[in-house]
Amino acid sequence: MAFQTSCLLTYCVAHCIVRGMVSSEAQTALRENLSLEFRRGALVLAVLSQLHEEQYGYSLKKLLAGRGLEIDEGTLYPLLRRLEAQGLLRSRWRVEDGRPRRYYRASPLGEQLHRELGADWRALARAMEQLLG
Amino acid sequence: MELIDRYVHEVGEHLPRRLRADVQTELRSLLLDAVEEQAREAGHPADGELAKKVLREFGTPQEVAARYAPSPQHLIGPRLFPAYRTAVGIMALVVAALLLAFSVVGILKTIRNPEEAVTLGSAFGVLGKILYTALFNFGLLTLVFAVVEQVQQHREITGKAWDPAALPPVEDPDRVSLPGRVFGLYAILAFAILFNFYPEWVAIFGITPGLGVWHWPLLRPEFKMYLPLLNLWWALAFAFNLIVLRQGRWRQETRWAEFALGLVAIGILVMVILGPPVFRFDQIVKLVLIVALIGKGMESAGRLYRLLRRPAHTIWTSAETESPDPPQN
Repeated sequence: MAFQTSCLLTYCVAHCIVRGMVSSEAQTALRENLSLEFRRGALVLAVLSQLHEEQYGYSLKKLLAGRGLEIDEGTLYPLLRRLEAQGLLRSRWRVEDGRPRRYYRASPLGEQLHRELGADWRALARAMEQLLG
Repeated sequence: MELIDRYVHEVGEHLPRRLRADVQTELRSLLLDAVEEQAREAGHPADGELAKKVLREFGTPQEVAARYAPSPQHLIGPRLFPAYRTAVGIMALVVAALLLAFSVVGILKTIRNPEEAVTLGSAFGVLGKILYTALFNFGLLTLVFAVVEQVQQHREITGKAWDPAALPPVEDPDRVSLPGRVFGLYAILAFAILFNFYPEWVAIFGITPGLGVWHWPLLRPEFKMYLPLLNLWWALAFAFNLIVLRQGRWRQETRWAEFALGLVAIGILVMVILGPPVFRFDQIVKLVLIVALIGKGMESAGRLYRLLRRPAHTIWTSAETESPDPPQN
């Protein structure tokens, strides 16, 4: 009887611990997903803001990191391609030190959207400041 | 670096052909830049470990390729998927019903005539045909939905303003459908007249050059023994439809009566299926009746579930909610 009770007790404790761990992991994953959601919208504007002059992918990453926005390569480089496909960026190949690099720069449409999105962002930031107190 | 070359090659394998070379060239140069930068920071030449670190930070080749893909790739998109899932569900039910019907017929046949028992070979043969038909239909269904998805994706978004006045009216689930009930009355009368006075017209019809129009009556004279029961059911159903039409709205009593009529229909179907042969091509007709029985059974089960789950639904329109208290039932 004592053995069965201790088994049951051990099971209950282990169940609670595992549930707690899973719950905490789920919370972390949820927080990361939600954080990624609202960062995702900002990345396009951040990229456009730094491409008034030509940059290649890695130099742009370092530029953004130097100004406080860390963005992983797996996100940035495909984003540059996508923005180019949408007409917001222009690109050309340049060979430097024997290595081909693709340089990007904002197109006229990209510059226009940068101004418009920048205004939207500032309005949103003011509204969020009021909401968050 | 060999590891980077392998990585870039693997990413390219998951990319559309037209993007592959361009993306691979850019990716290689970016990865080499990253490795060299990290080597400078670490104070030693680039090596395999640094390359692994950079590649891990980059992500798996499949993830990276997915991000480079031009647009979300799906065969059937989120808008159509619910309808697709429903259609597949219905098809699965039909296949399950056919399998069940086949099993029931096989068992009944074996019980009645053990010497004519369904052999394993013939059973597998029929099973194979049903499964083949199911797979074929599943593929066809998927193809149709995929084509519709592609057509919808290419349709231009016109950007028209949305008109609230174009919204469909709220359906009142308790309102009796006039066309449905009238058609029901017509069908009951038609079947009653047909089976009672023109049983020879319950037949399979065909046209053959040289022979003209022909028909194979399905009912044997023995079918007449079911007529009194069928006539009673038709009379009840006719009266029920008239009452429901007159009331104009479904009530708890009429919904329960509809459920009871369904049970009577199930009882009659079971009697005919288990009874002596009364049809030409008796086994085939009874197979069809078994499918009808399964359908009727599912319909009745659904009705019972809805009846037990909640009472008759009440729609409160804005006119009824002008008073502060909700209207009394």
